[in-house]
Amino acid sequence: MNFAFRLMFRDIRSGDLLTLLLALVISVSTVTSIGLFIDRLQLSFEQESANLLAADRLIRSDDDIPKEWEAKANELSLQAAQRTSFTTMMFAGDSLQLSQLSAVTDSYPLKGAYLVDDVLFGTGKRSTDTPKQGEIWVSSRLASLLKLNLGDQVEVGDASLKVSQYLVRDPGSSTSAFAISPRAVMNMADLAATNVIIPGSRVRYSLLLAGSREALDEYENWITPRLSEGQRWQTPTQRGERIGDTIGRAESFLLLAGTLAVVMSGVAMALASARFVKRHLMQVAILKTIGATPKLLGQLFLLQLSILFMVGALIGLGIGWGLQEIIASLLSGLMSTTLPEPSISRLWLGAATGLISMVVFCLPLMSRLIKISPLSVLQPNARIELNGFAIYVIGFIGMFGLMCLYTNGFLLPSIMTAAILGIALFVAAIGWLAFKLGRSLTSGATSGWQIGLASLYRRLIPNLFQLLVFTLIIMLTLILIGVKSSLIADWQQQLPEDAPNHYLFNVQANQIDQINSDTTQLGLKKSDWYPMVRGRVTAVNNTTIQSLYPEERGEPELYERELNLTWSDTLGKGNELVEGDFFAEGLSVELKAAKEANLEMGDELTINIGGNIITLPITSIRTVDWGSMQPNFYLILPKSALEDYPANFVSSLFISDAQAQAFYRAMAHFPTVSILNVGDILKQIQTIVGQLSQAIQLVLLCILSAGALVLLASVRSTLEERLEEGALLRVLGARGALVRQALLVEFGALGFFAGLIAAIGAETCLLGLQVFVFNAEASFHPLLWLLGPAIGIVVISTIGIFASRTVLKVPPVLLLRGL
Amino acid sequence: MPRNTAIKVSNLTHTVTSNTGDLTILKGINMEIKESESVAIVGSSGSGKSTLLGLLAGLEVNTSGEIFLYEQEFSSQSEEQRALVRGQYVGFVFQSFHLLPSLQAIENVMLPAELKGDKEARNKAEALLEKVGLSHRLTHYPNQLSGGEQQRVAIARAFASNPKILFADEPTGNLDEENGKLIIKLLFDLNQSQGTTLVMVTHDNELAKMCDRQLVMSAGQLTEKSL
Repeated sequence: MNFAFRLMFRDIRSGDLLTLLLALVISVSTVTSIGLFIDRLQLSFEQESANLLAADRLIRSDDDIPKEWEAKANELSLQAAQRTSFTTMMFAGDSLQLSQLSAVTDSYPLKGAYLVDDVLFGTGKRSTDTPKQGEIWVSSRLASLLKLNLGDQVEVGDASLKVSQYLVRDPGSSTSAFAISPRAVMNMADLAATNVIIPGSRVRYSLLLAGSREALDEYENWITPRLSEGQRWQTPTQRGERIGDTIGRAESFLLLAGTLAVVMSGVAMALASARFVKRHLMQVAILKTIGATPKLLGQLFLLQLSILFMVGALIGLGIGWGLQEIIASLLSGLMSTTLPEPSISRLWLGAATGLISMVVFCLPLMSRLIKISPLSVLQPNARIELNGFAIYVIGFIGMFGLMCLYTNGFLLPSIMTAAILGIALFVAAIGWLAFKLGRSLTSGATSGWQIGLASLYRRLIPNLFQLLVFTLIIMLTLILIGVKSSLIADWQQQLPEDAPNHYLFNVQANQIDQINSDTTQLGLKKSDWYPMVRGRVTAVNNTTIQSLYPEERGEPELYERELNLTWSDTLGKGNELVEGDFFAEGLSVELKAAKEANLEMGDELTINIGGNIITLPITSIRTVDWGSMQPNFYLILPKSALEDYPANFVSSLFISDAQAQAFYRAMAHFPTVSILNVGDILKQIQTIVGQLSQAIQLVLLCILSAGALVLLASVRSTLEERLEEGALLRVLGARGALVRQALLVEFGALGFFAGLIAAIGAETCLLGLQVFVFNAEASFHPLLWLLGPAIGIVVISTIGIFASRTVLKVPPVLLLRGL
Repeated sequence: MPRNTAIKVSNLTHTVTSNTGDLTILKGINMEIKESESVAIVGSSGSGKSTLLGLLAGLEVNTSGEIFLYEQEFSSQSEEQRALVRGQYVGFVFQSFHLLPSLQAIENVMLPAELKGDKEARNKAEALLEKVGLSHRLTHYPNQLSGGEQQRVAIARAFASNPKILFADEPTGNLDEENGKLIIKLLFDLNQSQGTTLVMVTHDNELAKMCDRQLVMSAGQLTEKSL
């Protein structure tokens, strides 16, 4: 035992163990820092979304919230608040207006804040208070419709409340779709006095919760079996498909980035282990000749590796933690919010990566090392077979396992592994051809070109391996650059600055011209008008919905509620025809809705419109970009089917903060028109996208640094041979310039081929990732084809020359003696 | 007083498999070496001298026949057991020194004693390095030493475990004449003072002549050279 420690300390002093330790530290710290950072980002997104929900979790109910639900929340030390929302008529003087009213308890909102203003149509200041008892906050639009000023009284049922603020934004209700009446918020304590809630009223009750993840999880377990029909448990990420989608993609990217970090760490460990073993071959043989038994050597290396793991993991975890703190603090200046603290429990991932890397990359090589024949001391040219098939298989399985562990799935690792295998074969074929060609085109050793190209072929196997490592790293870099730019571009494309942020509903045909002229005068960009008729699907192919779904649960959205139906002469913006003829005399159904309801072309739907029944076949299916913020419809009917019904119209438009006041004033002339403001959600999404873009760039930078270190390790692994050759050439009289030129040619050629193959591989992988993982459209990336070879030549030559500078500086005799 | 048998070999045959088929390197070798004897194995390159040395030291397993070290049948033992026997009986000196580059001179010499768990390893190593005239080079690393100095460290290491048998493979092969002579003197002095059996493979006739016996290896057969 003592001997093992002594030998290890001597090994540390020599630097060999340090190389292995460095690889382990890089591996653990990269995975840890990225893992922790992703965790913080996820927490941050959750918080951002929580601001939209006004809580960490929410229970929505059609009935009053039972008392014990709140009591249970208190018992678990969760913060709780209640909100009761309903539509009611409000009166002021001789004006009356249907409004969307919320009554909230004093602790509301638990997350996020109200925006209120004391100026009509102002942009708002944050407030985490609620209206005091006897007071009400009304939206500017409601105030203008009811001709209210601050301090005026407004009647809600039997109660009279004083207007104390203009409500700009109500957190938590901004996405309650189609709550399109003007809003107001009052104190819960006044609700009973209004007497507006009577049996049969349509009221939505919400219990809002906030607190630690553990307590929330415990609460969820407790509440889930108690939820009955009409009651739902909501988490922030469930809310708003668009935000969920954006975050989902970002998480996929970060996961991909993290997985690549795992792969690079694996390569670094494998290289360092190979180098360690190579340098210890003779040492083990000598130790054997002087009586060290294989058992003793096995214990010795196991002990060394264990200590190495503990030290490396500890340092790596420390550095990883520090790194993500640095990334986070760098980002804090750019981000609008402070990132939440990472959870310590995520540290296991880095430690596990280190351990698995050591087990799969070091142990098999070490076990081979122990088996070296002591006879090697008498036959200096005897080489141990290190590149055994089993070693590759173990390393491969280990790497795959690590990726699966990291991504918690098989798809991404499988795509990446298939790509890497394909690339390996490709690299072997192209490299062999290119190096052979290079060799046959040159003979003699009079120029750096000849020597450099000849070296490529002479060290064929190590060079092919190195080519593979270079290719993989450049490829990973290109993939990340490609994914990053297409993700960000995709997001920005989805959310142009002037995406519509307001919807106009309930517009009558005779109001259209006036609104058109008002908006044109204000310079507002507005979508087309769509007529809207409400109707409900009652039967499919003559089978009623009730008999199809007797339980009234799991009903497809298409049948669940009354739908907005429209007709149109054109396939609207953001709509794409998948099947059939849009202009035929039948129904056009949105693809996802059709899939959910198992509908196909030709199926007949029966629709009840205000008591009249019509039955039509499905004649087309189309996709809809819900993110386009244009008015979109699940069902589009032929004009002939709807034109006799009284329709009201809908449109969407973009209104900047500066235009808001003038617009609302103009719309005050149309009290029956409902306006839905989705600008807040859009702003939130844009903030999140902005944060994600910055985060992704930083993570990319982090991974590229790890990649550069792996490249350096890879160059170092064949350094000794290059040093020996360089020294020999100089002993034989070659000038430094010739040796440098030879090295430049060798590394430059390696870099060029690696970059070129990497570009091909990256383009292929990007296609796969775009289509299968990110669910985006495939696109071509011309920049990669330039970047690949350029990065290859510049980076690899620089690293190569830097690592080999000893060849040029140190007197050759010292080099030869040291080898 | 009759001396004990240190090494006994009977019907030793060794065959290796190569690309061109099986090649028999050693063909039915029989020999006996007594305790404290010095024996030189000579012969042309490729005649199988080093292979024989490797087999005698248990670095490799022979195809057939028996090898006894101090009456222990050696060749049928496991790698583990053979290593233990080596640690107990055997010391080595190689043509290319084979010092561990990451260890200082003193640490190289300490190794065999440390392997045995000897607490006096450092003191013994210092004494041995002094004997070979390197007391001023204790903390030098192999690449800071000349070839002659490296071989002296290797000899000190070989004697560090008080071996009963010392195997030397061309110990002067990589040295100039002057250093070669110094090494030979050291080897024989230590051999005599410690009563070690010396088995040496060499091309050097002068060196071979200094041994008690010379065995000639030729075409896989071993014959005694009459002195």
